[in-house]
This record gives sequence, structure tokens and C-alpha cells, in this order.
Amino acid sequence: MTMTTAPGILIERTFKASPDEVWAMWTTREGLEKWWGPVGFTSTVKHLDVRVGGSFEIIMRATGSDQVAFLKSAGLPLESSAKGTYIAVVPVTRLSYKNIVDFIPGVKHYDVESSLELEPADGGTKMLFRSGMMHDTDWSQRAEMGWTQQIDKLVASLA
Amino acid sequence: MSALDNILVALADPTRRALLEHIGGGEARVTDLARPFPISLNSISKHLRVLEKAKLVRRRRVGREHLLSLNPVPLDEVAAWIKTHRIEWDSAFDRMEKALEKKS
Repeated sequence: MTMTTAPGILIERTFKASPDEVWAMWTTREGLEKWWGPVGFTSTVKHLDVRVGGSFEIIMRATGSDQVAFLKSAGLPLESSAKGTYIAVVPVTRLSYKNIVDFIPGVKHYDVESSLELEPADGGTKMLFRSGMMHDTDWSQRAEMGWTQQIDKLVASLA
Repeated sequence: MSALDNILVALADPTRRALLEHIGGGEARVTDLARPFPISLNSISKHLRVLEKAKLVRRRRVGREHLLSLNPVPLDEVAAWIKTHRIEWDSAFDRMEKALEKKS
């Protein structure tokens, strides 16, 4: 099944590091904990099984004073988790996963698909990252059934 | 559902995005809009109602004719939402970059 995503984002970055090193940032506990999550949050990898059908869970805890203050005032928990299932795992080249967004109170779960492609470039590594809502019928139906105004809270908390 | 939900749901379908592109060319009649699509007028009407609910499309009646036009304003809301996500990922990748630099 071809999964195109819309609406979504596309980010291209070139790192001064080998594809192996960038891959490790995405696929190891040590790597992920160095960068994953929103600004003002500390991430801890709870579960990581990088293979097709395998899953991950990363706990993100607000540690920045602004973020803690905001979440408290909004009555939201300080800790949330990013959970996903790997769809494609081609070492050092391609990784894609389905992110189950289930941390928004009062909102039914929905899926976001993210993927990255790595290729060597100029002694470094070019990374192409895509992330977006799935628009398969399954997603649309769930979205139509479940989304509530709570998503605005998410948007606000990300702002 | 909130306004943003309605917009995202409306945009989460390839037929509806194609309809928006056609409507973007100016005012259009429902029958003209439906012509290029291999689906019934009835299902086109359903798709249009979803777009109207999201306020992406406006409908004007002239006699028996229903004229549709694009309202781009809600798209700004989606753009803002996407931008927020982009900023999030960009800042995460900044941290990744720093972590990678420390290694070498």
C-alpha cells in the first residue's frame, strides 16, 4: 500500500557526520535521548525495537520552567509518551514509522506517518525527513469520529 | 470537532484536494466540477459538503445553479499548525546536529 501523507512537513538537513552516525541517532537509546522531543522536555527511551513491526516508546518529561508552568496551568500532565511502530527499516538508508498520537486527553488516537531517508553527501549525510497525517480511509474515519477541540490544546502547547 | 479538525479532515482526502484545486481557478458550477471525476455527482456533493463544513468552499445560489468558490482563509490555520510541527522538528534536529558534532 502506498502511503502518501498530507498535510505534512518535509525537512532536508545535511549533517557533518557519517550515515552510520545519523542512523544511530534514530535507532539507539543513547542517540534518541540526545535530541528527541520538544524544546524544554527530556526524553527517556522506555522501549525500542527497531525492526519492521517492532515498536518504540519514548517518555517525554517537561523540564523547562516555561513548559512546566504552561502544562500545569493548562491542567495537562508533565509527562507524555511518543509511541510508534516501524513500517520500514533499511539500515543506514531508510526508516519509517507510524506514530500513534494518543496522549491528548479526550481525543481518539490518530496516526502520523514519518519517514527519513539518508544518503552520503560531501563527506557528510543528507537526511530527508517527512512527517504527516495519514490520509487512508481508516485514518479519516477515525479522525471524523474522534477529533475534538482538544487538538487546539495540543497546538497551543506546541506553540 | 474544532475548525482545525474540520479542515484537516477535509484535506485528508485526494478527491477533495483535487476539487479544491479546480475550485481555486474561480467560481465553478457543481456539474462542471464533477465532470473530470470518475465518481457520481452524489459523491462529489458529499465531498463538497465536507469542504463547505471546513469553510474551505463557499456556495452561492443563482437561480437553480450552485456556484462554488474557494475560501483560502482556513488554510492559514493549517499552515500555522504545520509550521509549529516544522519548528519542533527543526529544533530537535538542531540538537541532533550538536550531538553529532560532539562525537567527531
